[in-house]
Amino acid sequence: MSLAVARQAMPLPPPVPREARVQPSPELKVLIRDVDFYYGDFKALKSITLPLHDKRVTAFIGPSGCGKSTLLRVLNRIYQLYPGQRATGEVIVDGENILSPGVDLNLLRAKIGMVFQKPTPFPMSIYDNIAFGIRLYERLPHHELDDRVESALRRAALWDEVKDKLRQSGLGLSGGQQQRLCIARAIAVQPEVLLLDEPASALDPISTQRIEELIAELKGDYCIAIVTHNMQQAARSSDYTAFMYLGELIEFDETELIFTRPKQKHTEDYITGRFG
Amino acid sequence: MASEHIARAYDEELRKLNNTVAEMGGLAESQLGMAIDAVVTRDTEVAGQVVQNDDKMDRLERELDNLAIRLLALRQPVARDLREIFSALKIGSDLERIGDYAANVAKRSIALSQTPAVRPVYALPRMAHLAQELIKDVLDSYVQRDADKAYAVWIRDAELDEMYSSLFRELLTYMMEDPRSIGSCTHLLFMAKNIERIGDHATNIAENLYYLVNGRPLEEARPKGDMSSLEVVRPDGGP
Repeated sequence: MSLAVARQAMPLPPPVPREARVQPSPELKVLIRDVDFYYGDFKALKSITLPLHDKRVTAFIGPSGCGKSTLLRVLNRIYQLYPGQRATGEVIVDGENILSPGVDLNLLRAKIGMVFQKPTPFPMSIYDNIAFGIRLYERLPHHELDDRVESALRRAALWDEVKDKLRQSGLGLSGGQQQRLCIARAIAVQPEVLLLDEPASALDPISTQRIEELIAELKGDYCIAIVTHNMQQAARSSDYTAFMYLGELIEFDETELIFTRPKQKHTEDYITGRFG
Repeated sequence: MASEHIARAYDEELRKLNNTVAEMGGLAESQLGMAIDAVVTRDTEVAGQVVQNDDKMDRLERELDNLAIRLLALRQPVARDLREIFSALKIGSDLERIGDYAANVAKRSIALSQTPAVRPVYALPRMAHLAQELIKDVLDSYVQRDADKAYAVWIRDAELDEMYSSLFRELLTYMMEDPRSIGSCTHLLFMAKNIERIGDHATNIAENLYYLVNGRPLEEARPKGDMSSLEVVRPDGGP
């Protein structure tokens, strides 16, 4: 299906006249439509439909088991590593349904990068942690590879801390640094969408703030989706928030509205800590 | 308050916040009542009592501020909880101002009791009773989280404004007829203005309550009944 058709099917805000725009209005990057997901017989996502905008951060919140991480895992089809897991419906990225069988999964995962809750540096040098991913997709001359590694580490706000020890093991870094290393690894292959699954939940408050600052930086170039248990983090870092419960999308709106006057009582109960 | 939080101490803290606002409201109401009694009965002792009680109002406001700051810092409230705390703070400062105006009326009543009585003194209690009703209703609406009731107060303030306008004209006439009454009439004029301002604070509270309940501000234009600011004195009766 083309993006034009996809746009028609999804109610989007009316177009703002170009001269009236203060900030360019967000462009649709990913359209999740009618997505169901199964772990064997268990239906973990029920008819999820929502947009992800380019150069914006969308946060997924909800109690454990609500399906928010599952939804993230659908977006780069990482679930296919496990037998018995399947998704139906459509996830349209730039007009192409990435759930259709013909999609090259390696290219898809280069385009849609993911960072997990626990930092997952490879047991190799800091340099190779970044270069490893690049080498999978491209053959670059040495100096270009060096440039790419440096630029990824700079973008992940890690360069100054590691530039003198690039040959040391990535495992020797602190938790917060390891997580930024993983973000650097994800962006080194020049993705368009970044999926962050609780990227700061294993970190101390200062490292958490660094990650949030980094998200704010990166949002200028990527479409970012973040799953978080920390509601303040969702409130601080995202432009849009989706509240999920028991595999359903309860409410999706601008973050400011979700945290000031949500439309659904269920959402309000959750964000104010009244969840029974 | 709506259903309960998982952390029960949070509910307890919010309840305390609400109770403090209600206590300030009760005090504001009784202060105004006593101040008017002092005017009518020329009782300087009661007037002195009102002036003294104002300290209590200030203390309650500080207590309220501390509770609210603590809640904001420790609970990081959002949505309705945030509006609860934000409104309590704003309503608290409106009630404190109402208390100040009541104390002001009481102070002037002491001066007024040393001069011969003038007739417009009797129009003042009528204004004050309406102001008391507005305070009482808006506080009820706060306790019951009843935005309709708050809206009714918001509309009714125009009546108080009209009473003030007419008292203003009456006092002007008195002063023109008998310059010896200028002293007492000026005190009365200020008292009337104080009471009119109390009505305005009651409408502020109504607006905050509306916002608290609905999550959006009351955006209509409020009816205005006070035209005294456009009034011109022409002692010679000329154009």
